[in-house]
Amino acid sequence: MIKVTHINKVYNAGRPNEFTAVRDVSLTVNLGEVTVLKGPSGSGKTTLLGILGCMVRPSSGRILLSDREITSLPERFLTQIRRETFGFIFQQFNLIKGLTALENVMAPAYPTGEKYAPLRARALESLALFNMGHKAAARVEWLSGGEAQRVAIARSLINNPAIIIADEPTAHLDTKLSHEFMAIVRQLKEKGKTILIASHDPIVYDSELMTSRIELRDGSVITPGSPA
Amino acid sequence: MTARYSTWFCLTTGAMLLMALLLVIHAGVRTTADRLILRETTDLVRSLELTDLCLFTEASYTRHLSLADLRTPFQEYPLSLEHFPSGSLAAPPPYLTESHAPHP
Amino acid sequence: MPHTLEKQRHIIDFTLASLLRRKGKNGALFTVYTLIVFILASVMFFTYALKEEAALVLKGAPEIVVQRTLQGRYAPIPEEYAAKIKGIRGVMAVRSRVWGYYYDPVFMANYTIMAPESFSLGPGCIALGSGISRMRRAYEGDTISFTGADGKSRNFTISKILPQESQLLSADLILMAESEYREFSGLPPGLASDLTLKVRNPKELSTIAEKVVRLLPDSRPIIRNEILRTYDALFSWRGGLLIIIMSAAVLAFVIFAWDKASGLSAEEKKEIGILKAVGWETSDILFMKFWEGMTVSLTSFLAGTILAYLHIFFTAASLFAPVLKGWSVLYPEFRLTPFINPGQIATLFFLTVVPYTVTTIIPSWRAATIDPDSVLRS
Repeated sequence: MIKVTHINKVYNAGRPNEFTAVRDVSLTVNLGEVTVLKGPSGSGKTTLLGILGCMVRPSSGRILLSDREITSLPERFLTQIRRETFGFIFQQFNLIKGLTALENVMAPAYPTGEKYAPLRARALESLALFNMGHKAAARVEWLSGGEAQRVAIARSLINNPAIIIADEPTAHLDTKLSHEFMAIVRQLKEKGKTILIASHDPIVYDSELMTSRIELRDGSVITPGSPA
Repeated sequence: MTARYSTWFCLTTGAMLLMALLLVIHAGVRTTADRLILRETTDLVRSLELTDLCLFTEASYTRHLSLADLRTPFQEYPLSLEHFPSGSLAAPPPYLTESHAPHP
Repeated sequence: MPHTLEKQRHIIDFTLASLLRRKGKNGALFTVYTLIVFILASVMFFTYALKEEAALVLKGAPEIVVQRTLQGRYAPIPEEYAAKIKGIRGVMAVRSRVWGYYYDPVFMANYTIMAPESFSLGPGCIALGSGISRMRRAYEGDTISFTGADGKSRNFTISKILPQESQLLSADLILMAESEYREFSGLPPGLASDLTLKVRNPKELSTIAEKVVRLLPDSRPIIRNEILRTYDALFSWRGGLLIIIMSAAVLAFVIFAWDKASGLSAEEKKEIGILKAVGWETSDILFMKFWEGMTVSLTSFLAGTILAYLHIFFTAASLFAPVLKGWSVLYPEFRLTPFINPGQIATLFFLTVVPYTVTTIIPSWRAATIDPDSVLRS
């Protein structure tokens, strides 16, 4: 369970280009749920996603992860929590160019010091799960958009996280691939993963897979998905 | 399974370190073995009363560096960059340096 | 911490995979780096071994050599000087040396002819340095002719070739009986080339040298220490000259390496952001950069040093020979004894590996601490 209370995030505080990305947001995400953050671009979805995923520190407010206060933890612990608890699927996929699909999938597990052989086996398994086993040795820049995303999903799962966070996952996909993505979300949901998606794509937020929908506008929540 | 990059790195570095170690051993063995030769050379130096290394035979003051003239630094002084900069740009006439020695 | 090793291996895997993305650039860097280390280490090995060898064998050189200066240059010394010097207290023995140069017009080479104190070969017999023997293809038992000061050619029988191992000192020597050499070179009786002194107490060398000058103002004594110092200075200078030339190359390399190592491209910054976002810590990023510098510089250092050793001690400094040979026709084919100075190798290590690794890590320090959310906002 992730619970945030009265979260604010101000960028460039005190400077002329100061702006508030997230304004007094309080919400709870329960384990096993599939939550969608909906809203136009600039509504603060990505920032809120970053805060929920321990990637962005809020300017004020509190974050509780499984009843543990993590707002003021030092960077090292936050990194560890991020690595063990969250798997990220970025809008631009953010794969490391020039490396193979396999190397990209394995990268998040490197700091754990897991033995090479089992790690490689898990990474291949993870790629195979998304029908990417045959592309394991291919450099990521040679992959198509859909393939790149499946590599990014395989990468997000390598550390076996409880929560998957996806930022605009269908933004660079055509309709067919977007439906394929939703099939993967179903697969993950069936595995019991908690999923958080920021999207303004109807294919995503109108999907019957969503257990809660949170709408954002100008950094504030309009319709709370679940009572805070 | 193909070998990991780190395996290659460790093997390469290890092989080079081993090579370096072998060369250190080589240096030790050769230095010890050459001791006798060097002692014989020292004896030769002593009996012939030699003063200099036969490194540069082109001029008397480079052949016998330590016995070169003291008071004519620009003429026959080994540490002067002779005829600089012309000496570094122009070579001696070819008929002076042409070697008839068999090339090894 | 059993994981630590595996973690570092993972980071090395990642670093090398990253470096191999730009094979051409990093390959060129490695090659240039290795070449620089190779040249520096070669200079180091060569000069050190030569100096050590010179210092060792020249311990046998005469304690004091007395030259005579005439008209500002050295000239034959009257033998009666020997008797005068002998009178100085502390001088055990004085010997007049007879030696000189001989220019061989056929081979255009300079030889040194010496008349040693104890010459045991028969009349008309000479001993030849191995360098001359090799160049003129003249061997033991052969007859060789040289033109004397009077313009007449004389035949000599080669009774001995000086040992190959002492080439560094004797390659160009011709040993001859004193009477024959005087006749050959036209050195009149009563004159010698210079005088050598044996001294009772080595601590008195400089005092005796002073006394010699006071007694004979036109003489110039050279103490053995000065001979040793000459060779010490010479190779420092030679080595130093090479290093001056090298420093231009090194400087160019430093600029190249600096540009390569310190200029974090936007691409690299983004990659660091991605790695941080997926769970790499700041220290992991710095380890990655450490290995990036280390893998290139350590392998280059080792490869360059090993190649330099092989170059100097297995191929007899074949690349330096043309430089050191200068204009001389006769050059010893000497085989250096591999005297190694561990301190010099350590210095080379600290001057190459450490700065490169540091210039790789330092600029990424800031990038390593960027917020991982930068990748979200891009």
